[in-house]
Amino acid sequence: MPAYHQIGHDSQNLLFDEGLTRFGGAILSPLNYTPEEVATQLNRLRERETFVTLFDPHLYRPQSERMHLPSWDYYPKDVETADITSEWWAGIIDKLAATALQLNPTAIASPAIVPKTFPDEFYLGLVENGNRLESALQGTAIRATQTVVANLVDLMNPQRAMSIASIMSKSHIEECLLVLIGNTDPRRELADPEELKGAMKLIAALENGGQRVTVATSSSEMILWKAAGATNCATGKFFNLRRFTISRFEEPGGKGGGQLPYWFEESLLAFLRQSDLLRVQARGLISDASTNNPFSKAILDSIPAKESWLGLSWRHFMYWFAETELRLSNGSVSTEDLLTTADETWAAVASSKPKIYMEERYNNGDWVRQWMRALEEYPYFG
Amino acid sequence: MSVYALEHIAVAICEALGYKFGSGIGAGSFKETFSATRADGVRIALKVLKPGCSTERSDREVEAMKRCAHPNVASLLELSEIEIAGTRHSFIVEKFMAGGTLEDRLRTQLISRSELLKIGDSLIGAVGHIAAQDLVHRDFKPANIMFADTEGEAVIGDFGVVRDLKRESLTMTYFPSGPGTPYFAAPEQLTNDKALIDWRTDQFALGTTLAIAHFGVHPYRWDGEDENQAIARVAGRSGPSPTFVQMATHAELPALIKILAPWPVERFRTPAMLLEAWRAQRDGD
Repeated sequence: MPAYHQIGHDSQNLLFDEGLTRFGGAILSPLNYTPEEVATQLNRLRERETFVTLFDPHLYRPQSERMHLPSWDYYPKDVETADITSEWWAGIIDKLAATALQLNPTAIASPAIVPKTFPDEFYLGLVENGNRLESALQGTAIRATQTVVANLVDLMNPQRAMSIASIMSKSHIEECLLVLIGNTDPRRELADPEELKGAMKLIAALENGGQRVTVATSSSEMILWKAAGATNCATGKFFNLRRFTISRFEEPGGKGGGQLPYWFEESLLAFLRQSDLLRVQARGLISDASTNNPFSKAILDSIPAKESWLGLSWRHFMYWFAETELRLSNGSVSTEDLLTTADETWAAVASSKPKIYMEERYNNGDWVRQWMRALEEYPYFG
Repeated sequence: MSVYALEHIAVAICEALGYKFGSGIGAGSFKETFSATRADGVRIALKVLKPGCSTERSDREVEAMKRCAHPNVASLLELSEIEIAGTRHSFIVEKFMAGGTLEDRLRTQLISRSELLKIGDSLIGAVGHIAAQDLVHRDFKPANIMFADTEGEAVIGDFGVVRDLKRESLTMTYFPSGPGTPYFAAPEQLTNDKALIDWRTDQFALGTTLAIAHFGVHPYRWDGEDENQAIARVAGRSGPSPTFVQMATHAELPALIKILAPWPVERFRTPAMLLEAWRAQRDGD
């Protein structure tokens, strides 16, 4: 199934980029846009047949992450003082359903907060919200999507994934939006094999139980989610290495050149800074996937011309993401193949003379072995 | 002297109602059951609650039965009280099941594959109906499955530990296990994982009942192990024994294996899916 574009700050233009047509859907954000702006995006997207638009109400942290949220009717004005009860959610869901009818997206995700802890009662509440939203949308063409928020640390408990999946499968809704919360620093690969195994187990359990999973805010670890059976994975222009963390996720630096361009290299499953790219290229370690990426040439032409390639780097990664999701879905490549190649390429990097030192200390490929472990061991986890 | 402590109460109730008293037919923690015949000749089961046992749980049993109306679910004919020697006694009148229980049948022989499919079909209908009322029976077992006559359809009775999902649970969260009969209970019932309890809990117990009725062995009981070890394996969510999986596979009963998965998410998600998969097994009959 196709990849979804997770719309973030100032990224609506990428929705319509001619080089990124592989994306089969978009997750729309009320954080970054007003109702009028989202309506405009939807009007343009409706011109594409079969393109899925999923509106995420984004009430994960309604007290701290507001941005454009207060301009939306469903945003609770009493968010500072309200007790978050079933009745409180019922009022929000009614307004959310009304918002959905005005916007008319393909689907809308049920509302959820990111709690301090993740007990069973939290998941029962998510199911209640999902079922209530589904009821509110009955008789319309808009599909409800069941939001599932899971803490990666929680998933390290081998039985927790099955327990969460058992509760979430009480939902009447057959499509899930999975939001994974963790402690991994923004811009670092998820690399704890126990967390990864738990997340993969959860995805596999939901999918095998008949609920199609879209994994939100994915980065290159998408290859693991696909191996676990995820129907769709979503990513955005900031590579979505910005993660939901327990504190909050960081938007990359705003204006003023705070962002650096990265090249995503499939042969290493790594993001490369400019000098890394040039050295890896010189050793002939660039993958066919990168060679065939239409944004690669433009980037390689920009470097000697000393032109900024930040915008191209976003597109370069997103092209790889959508293309690889498709390759994994149709079986033309496997996650195991990608990991084996990356493991071998990192070995070549380590043994080459002179050795290649990546600009960033932690960009050393250590996660590849952890991902291989996760892939091998997750079916036996729990 | 009768083994039924409440027999004199049952006799008094019959006299008051104009019923002909029959005999004692069963006793549980909260009540004793007797057979009787109404003036119109219809045989009934008279359940007399033990004094002081007219608790919230027995109230819920009655409420649950009132909500259900399905040919494979025992029907409540009357609920009332009678005062005898200054003490009020609650009693329930249900249709009498002349065909006995599945437990009675299993004393002489196991059920055949075609009987298994027929009984399973009836009881899946019952499970689906109970689930549609937001109820979980929590005590599917051979002793609670009855037959109107020797050829009749299976009927599930005894809602004594029924769980109403729309109401607060009566089981304390800190209890190590929930109510029910451990030998037939699902893992989430044995471990009191209350958030996981739903109709799929009944699905598992029904599967255990049917597996024992057809194969004569608990599906989680490994060769050489005893009943307690089987219960421990269910609680530990180890999955059915290899011997059971082999037997069920050989008997072309894949749905029975799925029903008995340790986690609810691995079982059938809806009663309709379960019924479809169950009926698909007829091809192997």
